[in-house]
Parts: sequence; C-alpha cells; structure tokens
Amino acid sequence: MQPLISLRSLVKNYRDHRALDGVDLDVMPGITGLLGPNGAGKSSLIKAILGLVSITSGTGTVLGHRLAVDGKKIRNDIGYMPEDDCYIPGMTGVEVVHFAASLSGLPKVEGMRRSHEILDFCDMKQERYRAIETYSTGMRQKVKFAAAIVHDPKFLILDEPTSGLDPEEREALLQRISVLCVEAGKSALLSTHILPDVQSVCDQVVILSNGQVRLNNSLAELNRIQVPTVEISVDRVTGGFMKRLEERSLEVSTLDNGNIEVTGESLETLTSELWRVADASSTMILALKPAMNSLESIFMKTVIEANTPSPEAADAR
Amino acid sequence: MPVNHLGYRPWKAKLTSALTRWWCISASGISLAQKSALVKRMLFAAWLPVLYWGVGFFFVGQAMEGKVDLLPPSLQNQINSVANKMSSEDRDRLRAAKSGPNRIAVAALLKQQFKRIPQVNQLADNLLEGDESSSRNRVWCWLMMSFFRYPQGLMILFLVGAITPSLISRDIRSRAFLLYFSRPISKTEYILGKFFIPATFIALVTTLPAIGLYLFGVLMSPDLSVVTSTWDVPLRIIVGTVVLTVPTVSVALMFSSLTQESRFASFSWFAFFAIGHAAWLAVVFGYAFRNGRAMPFDMSLMEEPSVKLWGLLSLFNNIGEVQGWVFGFSPFSDAWPGMLVLLLITVFSLVVIYRQISSPMRV
Repeated sequence: MQPLISLRSLVKNYRDHRALDGVDLDVMPGITGLLGPNGAGKSSLIKAILGLVSITSGTGTVLGHRLAVDGKKIRNDIGYMPEDDCYIPGMTGVEVVHFAASLSGLPKVEGMRRSHEILDFCDMKQERYRAIETYSTGMRQKVKFAAAIVHDPKFLILDEPTSGLDPEEREALLQRISVLCVEAGKSALLSTHILPDVQSVCDQVVILSNGQVRLNNSLAELNRIQVPTVEISVDRVTGGFMKRLEERSLEVSTLDNGNIEVTGESLETLTSELWRVADASSTMILALKPAMNSLESIFMKTVIEANTPSPEAADAR
Repeated sequence: MPVNHLGYRPWKAKLTSALTRWWCISASGISLAQKSALVKRMLFAAWLPVLYWGVGFFFVGQAMEGKVDLLPPSLQNQINSVANKMSSEDRDRLRAAKSGPNRIAVAALLKQQFKRIPQVNQLADNLLEGDESSSRNRVWCWLMMSFFRYPQGLMILFLVGAITPSLISRDIRSRAFLLYFSRPISKTEYILGKFFIPATFIALVTTLPAIGLYLFGVLMSPDLSVVTSTWDVPLRIIVGTVVLTVPTVSVALMFSSLTQESRFASFSWFAFFAIGHAAWLAVVFGYAFRNGRAMPFDMSLMEEPSVKLWGLLSLFNNIGEVQGWVFGFSPFSDAWPGMLVLLLITVFSLVVIYRQISSPMRV
C-alpha cells in the first residue's frame, strides 16, 4: 500500500528555533492520529504539509504532489480544519461554508447547494443563518468541519477537532470522521491531545516530540502487549484467589478500575490456570479479555524517552 | 435531524478556473462592505456631484453648438458680459482664430472665472485657437479631470477609509487567513482579491459615473461623429481611475495589514493623507504670504519649482499631477516625479502587505 504522505528529512527552522528536525514520516490510508506534547512540532508539520510555511530542507510527497512545490495542488486535495477559530465576522455559518467552497473552486450555485448538504451532514439546523460571531464553540467547530469537507477532499487534516465540545458532540464528530473515512474512502490526519479520540477512531499513530517522529505504528500493533497478559474482572476479590494465582508463578496486579491483570507464559495455559484457580477458590470470573497497552502509557513512555538524554550525550555533558 | 439530511455524498464536477478564484475574495468582501449603512450613504453622496457635472456637460455642449438660447438667461448674460470684457490680447487672438463666437464666449467665461487656475487658462486658449473637435475633446477632458480631482478625489479618501482598514486587520484578528490560505489560494491572489474590494467601490463612484457623463455628452451632441474626436476620453477615464485607485488602496491595505485593530488602520490612513497634504499646503501658503500672493490666492504659484517640489509630500497632489498628464493638461516632465512617488508608495505598500500576511503563518 502506497503512503499518502511521505516525508524525508524534513527540517523547518524559525530563525534560531528548529521546529521540525529531520522528520521521516509515511502516512498510510486510514485515520492517523498525530500526537505530541505542546511545542512538539505538530502545527509546523501540518503547515509544512499544506505548503503554508516554506521548509528549510527535506523532500516529500503529499497525495502524489511534491511538497513545497505543488502547494496549490496539495491544498486542492486536502480539507484542513484549523484548531483556532477562523471566520469572517459578519458572515453567517452557511456563507462561511459557501465561501470556503468558492475558494476551492465550486461554482456559485452548486457551492451553495453543497454547503447546505454538508451542513445538514454536520447536523447544523437553522442556526446556519445566524452571524457566526454569535455561535457557541460547538457550532463553530461544526462550521469549520463543514468548511473543511465541503469540496470533497481526498484527505483531511483535523487539528484538535473535538476541542471544546461536550461529550455528545464529541462523539458525533468522531462518528462523522469515521463515516467519511470508512464509508466515503477518505483518509485523515487527526492532531489532538485527547488520547481517547485517537483510541476510538485511528488506525495509525504518530508521536512527535522535539520536532522528530518518535513513534509511527498501527494502533492495533501498539496496543498489543508483548507478554501474554489478560485482564479479568471477578465478583469479589478474595485473599485465597490472589494467593493461589501467585503460587502458580503468575504475575498479578490490581488495576485502577478494580480489575486484575495477570501475566503468564502463554495465553492458553494462563486462561486455563485462571479458570482452575477461580473454581478452587469459588470466585466467579465476570469478564476475561487480553490486556492492551494503553495509548496513554505508550504516549508517556515515548515522550519521556525522547526527553531523556542518551548515555553518549550525558557522558559528553 | 435536518429535513434534507442525505448523509455524506461525494462531489465531483467542473471547478471554476483557478485564474479567477481571487474574485471570490473580492465578491464576498464587496457583499460584506455593502451591508454597511455608512458605505451606502457614502455611495449615495459620491453620486451627487454627477448631477452637477451633468449640467456642466449640458451647458458647455449647448454653448459650443451655438445654442446659447437654450442656456438660462442669467448664464447667457454672464457669457455676453464676459465676452465684452475680453482683454485686447484675447480679442486679437479671437480675430486670428477660427473659433465660433460661442466657443469664444465659453473661453472668455473660463478665463474670467478661473483665471488663476493654469489648466483652465490652457483650456480656454485651446478653445480660442483649436478647431471644434479638438476643443470638445479638451473641454470634456477638463470636465472629467476636475470630476476625478475634486469631488471624487476627496470622496475616495472617505470611501477607502471606510472600507479598506478592516479588510486585512479583521482577517488577522479572527485568524480568517487560515480559511484563505488552507485553500488553493496564493498570497498574491489574496492581495488581489482584497485590493479589488475598495477598487470596485472606487470604480462605482468614478469610472461608472464618468463613463455615464461621457455617454451623456455624446447623446447631447448633434451627431455621433463626436465619438471620433473624443474616443480617447473613456481610455483616459480608465487610466485616471487606475492612477487614483492603485496607490490609495495599496496604502490603505498596508495600514490594514499592520494591525489587528481596524480603527488604528483607519486613523493611520486619514493621518497619512491629511499630514502630507497639510504639510504641502503649509509650504504653499507660507510662500504665498511671503511673496504677497496670498490675498487673493494665486494658484499659479503652485507651479513654481520651489513650491512644486513640496507637493510630492501630498498623496492627493501627486495623484492630481499624474491625472493632469493622463487627461492631457500637463506634460510628462511635470508628472513623472509624482508618478515615481506613487510608484514607490505602491511598491513599498505591497511589500509590507506581503510580509505581513506571511507572518501569521510563522508559528
């Protein structure tokens, strides 16, 4: 499968500050989560992809177009939803979306029809006729999202799309992103700080730190724990149950949610041992599932590693 | 759920030409600007002088065609009395010239009423010495130039000041530039789109009425052959509009790009216009008082080199100098310093705008 975005040794300097430090990145079709602490270079990366800032060095292709050369062609094929509010005061919601459609080349009448269709898709009702400066954060997010997809782009770049949304609206927006990517065949780059958003919709995760790609893998692969571990929930945790597990040389730990994580040599023997111990200690296992690496732990581990100086560097100091 | 919810549907159709996409920016800006009650009032006020100039076209046209009888009696009396009071020098030129009596009367009237304005003297001489078609051309050009210079030139100050300052500052404040630049729009197209918002309004109050006046003049003429002698007037009108529009809009857009607060941009625009002009007028009046030519004020001293140089401080004066050349009343040698200043102002403004709209992209 060909990557949609392929970047090699991308460097972006802002005077003395290096925002992107040799980024090598392949973004595959599907939904990719772009994670990173503040100042990691996420916004610079997005702006470099869109051709909004000139890159200092490096090469790349975006949807088959050359980076830093075919900026207009790239922006023609991409729908960008910025993190910040960006609107023209005095316009109504539908006018903003129509304006975005016109800038992307939709004819006037067709652009208006399409704007209404997309606002319907985004669940904007009569408030679309109100001046945008009177909108709530959620409504503005919807208008920004509608403006990003009105021209039917192949690829979406969504910068903090769920920021400021209530749980219901957040869920609805993630659902729309899934619909676009699963049913309409689009791909998306989702830059966010909200890890559960990435966990719920993304196929691939990229973690940036200090201007470098620290991790780029599929979410399924990242979630998989290397040693056989299961997470169980039981009706009541008894001392006998825990003692028997430890006697069988199983690693046992209690999680924050009250569940028990048990690690063994293989998944099959581990499962049969668990049932045996439960039977012997008259404990009822309510749920049993393979344990996963949490995205939060992956993120923290990656960022901490990125910020820990290497032994060579420490020695040099 | 909305009534027409169709879910997400792919869209595929022919896109508009990339070459004309900047016009979307202009069209939306024009649409927003015309919602303003202030702008609507200004547009109305800017069209009022057209009536005055229309009457001027009518009277001059009638007088030149020998239909003095159609003129109001008071104006007929004035023309006759002025013609009777012509200087002996003008009388001699009158005898030598082929001019008809009515054109001579108009020339005399111009010399009597506007004798301190060099361009009017030039016009009157042309009426006395030129043939009928060249005289008509000169009169129309003069009417157009005065229309551009006095009522509309000043109206533009207010119209540009009302529309332009918010155009870029508002985008910076509301971060709307991301809406533009995340689309297939370049910075040049953005500037072009913004430029044509005030430019369209300027054209509405200068080019459109001037072309209307020209057509009115043609229709008031005995036959359509006047078009052959005045074909250049519409072209001069268009070039005159460009001279008026390009530097003023560029400067106003530059001020708009320098701040997030539109009111600061408005203030800077008016201050730039007023301070430059006031400085020049101060020099002119100082010179006039020192040489005893202030009462009555002798406008011909503005043509004196030591005073004229200071005119470069005034945007209004520079535009006037170049328009004088555009409408054929000044030689190029008089216009080029002003033209150079306008060019430098425009280039400087565009460079600043370009830099300013690039800077928000820097994180």
